[in-house]
Amino acid sequence: MSHRTHAAAGLGAVLALAAGLSGCAGSTPAASTSATASAPADGSAPVVDGVAQVKVTLTGGEDGDKCTADFGSAPAGPVTFTVENVSSTAITEVEIQSELKILGEKENLAPGLPPSPFTITMNGGQYTLYCLGATPQTQPFTVTGEAAAAPTGSTATLLNQGTKDYGTWVGTQADGLKAAVADLKAAVDSGDVAKAQAAYLAARPFYEKIESDVEGFVMPGFKVDDNKGNLDYLIDMRASNLDEKVGWSGFHAVERDLWKAGKISDGTKKYAADLDTNVGKLVDVVKTLEFKPEDLANGAAALLEEVQSGKITGEEEAFSHTDLVDFHSNMEGARQAFAYLQPGLEKIDPDLMNQVVTQFGNVDDALAELRDKTAPGGYLPWTAANREKHRKELSQAVLALQQPMQKIAEKVATAK
Amino acid sequence: MTEESNLDPSGFAAGSPGPSPAPSDPAPAGGVSRRRLIAGGAATAAGGAVVGAGVTAAFMGGNARAAGATPSASASDVTDSVDLTRRVPFYDQPNQAGIRTPPQRHAVFMTFNLNRGATRQDLQVLLARWSAAIAQLTQGKAIGTIEPERPDAVATDTGEAHGLAPASLTVTVGLGPGVFDKRFDLAHKRPALLKDLPRIPGDVLQPELSGGDLSLQACADDPQVAYHAIRNLARMVTTTAHTHWVVMGFGRASAGPGQETPRNLMGFKDGTRNVVSDADYDQYVWLKDADWMTGGTYQVVRKIAMTIETWDFDRISDQQRIFGRTKDEGAPLTGEREFDTPDFAKQVEGAQVIDPTSHIALAAPENNSGVKILRRGYNYTDGLNNQGLLDAGLLFISYQNDPQHFVDLQNKLGRFDLLNEYIRHIGSAVFAVPPGPATGSYIGKALFD
Repeated sequence: MSHRTHAAAGLGAVLALAAGLSGCAGSTPAASTSATASAPADGSAPVVDGVAQVKVTLTGGEDGDKCTADFGSAPAGPVTFTVENVSSTAITEVEIQSELKILGEKENLAPGLPPSPFTITMNGGQYTLYCLGATPQTQPFTVTGEAAAAPTGSTATLLNQGTKDYGTWVGTQADGLKAAVADLKAAVDSGDVAKAQAAYLAARPFYEKIESDVEGFVMPGFKVDDNKGNLDYLIDMRASNLDEKVGWSGFHAVERDLWKAGKISDGTKKYAADLDTNVGKLVDVVKTLEFKPEDLANGAAALLEEVQSGKITGEEEAFSHTDLVDFHSNMEGARQAFAYLQPGLEKIDPDLMNQVVTQFGNVDDALAELRDKTAPGGYLPWTAANREKHRKELSQAVLALQQPMQKIAEKVATAK
Repeated sequence: MTEESNLDPSGFAAGSPGPSPAPSDPAPAGGVSRRRLIAGGAATAAGGAVVGAGVTAAFMGGNARAAGATPSASASDVTDSVDLTRRVPFYDQPNQAGIRTPPQRHAVFMTFNLNRGATRQDLQVLLARWSAAIAQLTQGKAIGTIEPERPDAVATDTGEAHGLAPASLTVTVGLGPGVFDKRFDLAHKRPALLKDLPRIPGDVLQPELSGGDLSLQACADDPQVAYHAIRNLARMVTTTAHTHWVVMGFGRASAGPGQETPRNLMGFKDGTRNVVSDADYDQYVWLKDADWMTGGTYQVVRKIAMTIETWDFDRISDQQRIFGRTKDEGAPLTGEREFDTPDFAKQVEGAQVIDPTSHIALAAPENNSGVKILRRGYNYTDGLNNQGLLDAGLLFISYQNDPQHFVDLQNKLGRFDLLNEYIRHIGSAVFAVPPGPATGSYIGKALFD
């Protein structure tokens, strides 16, 4: 995982009025008659109650849809952009950008919906009003003067802190994985199947929480098309992606012996020992990883993809049927990555942030209904019969989370 | 199917109906640099037999023709063509497109249920975003970027219709009874006649193929254009609604003005006596004085499976008795030509020529107090069933200003229709279809005013 140097944002932007801005129904343009208004002499946007007011109007037309701001500049400080889609079917999203970074935005715009405001605090300088689907798509927006000091950290600072904290969290999971796999090896060596099964279930979550960070990691000196050097393969290969040239290996080889065969052979012990070795290597790699905000977002999205394509299908734990335990852990990993982005994302797009939070809650609810205290791992065994009964609802809930989650990477990206 | 010919009180449907152009008639798009293709529809399908066939048929009697091998062809071949550059207007029409629009060749029909926890505002945004996106799609445009500039961005439009012509795409939005329950505080806006259909004799409905809070009927002359529309509309609303059931239709099983009557998968012409005139649309399809639903209508959808192999082994005389029409020409058994008025009283040797429990006898408007429904169905196939038999049938879609018109008709058909031996109604749903939106508005906006 490469780490590109992060260029700090030159211009801090802060959402001043997060509350009351989410959604569009019932929102009203921020200007109010009782407020104290002042019109700056330089022709920039009027200031009402200390907040500059810019109206952005979207219209459709034969020669391209137009995005029109009533003022092209505003004095430094908080600025409210109130977006009204009068008749544009092509423009769905309006953003304020600084050097390609998104400072604030409104999505889901459509003709007929009430005007929808967002507010950011802007320092003096050049910005871009970006209207996705408009002709032209970008136009300059100027902020004059200096803003008062930002009340809290800038979006970029928050995001960078989040990535550091996430890296630390991944390290603790890797340590947990190493210890749990050592326990698994010891249990397998002891020949006690029940104990080994329990140790297997205890070790899996650590891997499933961080698997998106090590996906496809190839050890130095190996070619990408040689699975002997692919740590992810060696640790987490499944029956469905068995590479005959390399053979069985890793967690699922142990799983197969413990559940399908129901006994521990010398081969099982070899699998467990190799797993222990390979996890050791992986943990060393994991601790060197550095993350960018978009890595967290893409990682969270990748974990949801895992859930959708590998867990709900019952493909991952084909022998122990503990896929829902992995599901839970994948979700936990996605939630952690998102949580570290959340403070920064809240400044960029509180609506989007709230959507993700809501949908995480819905997936939790759907999964909670499948808890089974008596089952190993705490969830209903994911057998064909149970899959048949429950997979549709789970799948739809995950899909509803994937939708807002897929949008986050580009919002928080620091790469240019 | 459940219809055949319930539709013309005069009994003379459509030989030359000459209706004024439907409001949503597609107009060829001028100056578009997309690929243009005009294919003679039925003429091409019938091959070289077209020109002589009508003449030959005219010299042969009905019975002789039934035994004959030459397919007949109607005189309307010339107008029954596909122009892929056609676009159907979305905004500023009194009714939604896809109802009176001459039936396109392909359809994808999908229903959705609203997610647990979806709010009134979520529903509002869904309808507004769908409307804007449908406006884009029907004009042959993408709904957003196919290849975003930012490397971490996810494409808005999935791209598979990029470079394809508009193909007369229409997407018709329906609202199911569930929209008007207490979840969304819309009970006071419930269209007066919208409620779940009652159980009808013969129904063997499967819950996974029935009902739904929302429906999308996408029709186009290019199947990929229709599929792209549904796929992208489904994709953009997953936080609010999830897919319930879907049917992909082909070979339109109903005719519009100037179109030759198509055939269902039983090989019979279907929709010979459909609603065509302005007066009939006003009387039987569009809602009048219906508050915010004025200009709207009700959509009834039935997935009707056919026992194809069994049907195919049935002797021709029995098939024709079941429908009450001849297979080739489509003439009533008491007539010579497709548009001859059936004579349900006619007897030969003490027996009625058209069996009173034949499909057309039960469905004919003259036997149903003159009631008509607009049928706009498609054939479908789902491949093979678990017996290894062809899994196919009719996606029956009807539009009427009172769903009870369908219910009354189907109550009769479900009990007595000779056809029931070969069909199963396995899916069913009813939706209110709001009127068309004005520029700057969206379908169903009146719900939130």
